[in-house]
Amino acid sequence: MAQTAALRIDPAPPALPDAAILAATSAIADGPLAAAAARIDHGEYPLPLMADLGAAGALGAHLKGNGSRFGLAISAMETASRACGATGFLMWAHDVCGLYLDQSGNPALEGAMLEDHAAGRSFGGTALSNPMKAFSGIEPMLLRARKVAGGYVVRGALPWVSHIGRGQYCGAIAAVEGVGGSVSHEIMFLLRCDDRAELRPCPVFSGMEGTSTWGIRLDDYFVPADDLIADPARPFIARIKGAFILLQTGMALGVSAGAIASMREVEGPLGHVNQFLDDQPDDLEAELADLRAGILALAETPFETSKDYLLSVLDARAQGAEFTLRATQAALLHQGARGYLASAGPQRRIREAHFVAIVTPAIKHLRWEMARLSRDVMPGGAA
Amino acid sequence: MSALPEPTDGLGPWRQYLCRACGLVYDEGEGDLDGGLPPGTRFEDIPEDWVCPVCGVSKADFEPYAGPRVAPVAVAPSVRPRRAGLVIVGAGIAGWNVAEAIRALDGAVPVTLVSACAGDAYHKPELSVAMGRGLTPERLVKETGHEKAARLGVRLMAQTFAVGLDPARRRLRTTRGTVPFTRLVLAQGAAPVLPACLPPDLCWRINSLDAWRALHGALKPASRIAILGAGMVGCELADDLARAGHAVTLLDRTALPLGAVLPETAARRLAARFAQAGIGFFGGVEVRGLSRADGALALETSAGTFAADQVVSAIGLATESRLARTAGLAFAGGIAVDPATLQTSAPGIHALGDCVSIAGAPCRFIEPIARQAQVIAHALLDMPCAPYAHVTPVIRLKTRALPLVIEGEMTGEGDWRVLRDDAEHLEMERWRGGTRLARLAA
Repeated sequence: MAQTAALRIDPAPPALPDAAILAATSAIADGPLAAAAARIDHGEYPLPLMADLGAAGALGAHLKGNGSRFGLAISAMETASRACGATGFLMWAHDVCGLYLDQSGNPALEGAMLEDHAAGRSFGGTALSNPMKAFSGIEPMLLRARKVAGGYVVRGALPWVSHIGRGQYCGAIAAVEGVGGSVSHEIMFLLRCDDRAELRPCPVFSGMEGTSTWGIRLDDYFVPADDLIADPARPFIARIKGAFILLQTGMALGVSAGAIASMREVEGPLGHVNQFLDDQPDDLEAELADLRAGILALAETPFETSKDYLLSVLDARAQGAEFTLRATQAALLHQGARGYLASAGPQRRIREAHFVAIVTPAIKHLRWEMARLSRDVMPGGAA
Repeated sequence: MSALPEPTDGLGPWRQYLCRACGLVYDEGEGDLDGGLPPGTRFEDIPEDWVCPVCGVSKADFEPYAGPRVAPVAVAPSVRPRRAGLVIVGAGIAGWNVAEAIRALDGAVPVTLVSACAGDAYHKPELSVAMGRGLTPERLVKETGHEKAARLGVRLMAQTFAVGLDPARRRLRTTRGTVPFTRLVLAQGAAPVLPACLPPDLCWRINSLDAWRALHGALKPASRIAILGAGMVGCELADDLARAGHAVTLLDRTALPLGAVLPETAARRLAARFAQAGIGFFGGVEVRGLSRADGALALETSAGTFAADQVVSAIGLATESRLARTAGLAFAGGIAVDPATLQTSAPGIHALGDCVSIAGAPCRFIEPIARQAQVIAHALLDMPCAPYAHVTPVIRLKTRALPLVIEGEMTGEGDWRVLRDDAEHLEMERWRGGTRLARLAA
């Protein structure tokens, strides 16, 4: 080990230590983000606040150049999600987009492009909901690619892709078709939302409307080799899958922590009746601490690909979603009418919790995937 | 449920189309009024600029819809208990034994049984002799999981995997939801070990009815079968498959079949009987890899390449450790249990059968299971019961080429003495000092 450590070229020491990043993130979360949460819920896309989070180091801690601090990235997301779940989701989309660029091995994507992205000077999300489900056998792949000189052309449509807009970008995957329409493999690429990509407005959701979520339509969109993240895509996805899912748990931790805090807010005036409710803040706090500890332990080895590790990641993500549903429900019961006001945090967090539970991978997808991984592989496809 | 009664355009009944992006179903009879399509608009007649009313993708992303994808049977139609009750993980002999033992003592306590398979009850040792007897999967099932659950009044969660356990909060996480429990019993069995050089999609492991059923379905008359590992399971399978008319090759690292367990005299006798039964045994062989070429399997070994139609690995069993380990349960080659109470290191959680280790050693035989289930059922219901006393069981090897009975500790210090060795019988005993440690009869 000592020899390996001696031979390793250590990355430059992180410019910002963990405590500084978390303190700056807290200052944003507790100040301007908390004040904007209701507006973001109803449709305000908080790009200026995302830029502040980027400048604070909260969007790039997990990248190689910053010491691959995945636990810190999750903690930063938790901190922001305490104030606003939609912003936590934007951070996740931004973080995984950064992860794609960082792990691409493509110099055209790793340099200035990644630096701007990590620092919150440019913005982009992820369009992997459909491909992730396609790789698990849940639904067919929607984007189709064809090899041409110097790259690929892609066509097809994706519903609801978040954290994109004109001039932004996202990671996407398309199935490569040969002559006759048979699929040879998949490519992963950086989809630039310039005028070649048609962005269509989505129907209005019940909350989290400030995530800048669009339908994308591509018609012979050219992907140059410089924009390829992975070709083929499957080995790349297998390598980053644990990190991709694990990073999402920051949302669950934060929305739950926000819910518990709102229970404590009313302990003084309402504690005498709230004691009769099933879930009490101390119990939830202890459970949240256990959940967080488990997640941060998993975040120590984000690129592990063993079956046991992936099962634990999927289990933690599902546990986080279930816990968030319970904690936010409990918070509304504790707060009563004041939490039910249209401007109140507890009712907003209930919708945020439902989002955590249904965004890909949703609880049902996580369970599907855990069942798939748990089944024995046998000859002839028997299981 | 179309809005229009019947189409009159002569193009057949109204059809449905599924949005591949969001799952919305377009029904020709209903149309999409908000999108400008009156009821009765055929899919072909939808303009190309029409988009899915939910997610906005285009007509090209729709496909004909033939109704729901059939979901496998999940949960027996028993009443879901309103309160947390006893939960058992595993519907093998051990799990069902505990359920039976509980019901014999208490008809009312809620019991939930979580099973990775259908939960059908069968006698696992029969799997090693079933081919030779011409049995079918249907005949091996004594009672379906559904029937058994209904008869015992337990809730069966079939095709459900236990994925996480919180001993402090008494919650079991499964692939069909989180199940609270008052007491938990782990009876999850052990899984065959597969060497990394053998791809799981090319190599069978026979440790469940499902696996046996699949192998049974894949076998053609007079198949060439290579079996890796000449332990008890490997020897029994080799004997059984040869008896069923297949060309069996049995390979092991040791020089003789059951060479790690039997004294040499007995192992040689078994090797001779295998040879008479047409089983090709190759000892001292290391496996290197397995691949498919020209419709057959090629098994690479230190003794050359063996061609086979099917390859079965029987090199050993191991308890899956993730569930116990992540829950913080003590684990030592199996889930460590107290030798008298069979409780794990966590209060309220017991374990039995193939998944446990007692004093650091697993014991994967049928005989102790019924006694273990009795002790656990009493403990779960807070009823008094004599403690479990572990005794190494008598082992009967069901190889018809040479049936063997083994009693006592087979390996360790001491000397084997031959009491009888003739054409019909072999009898041996292992002694140390003035004590007989083991006995063998063939």
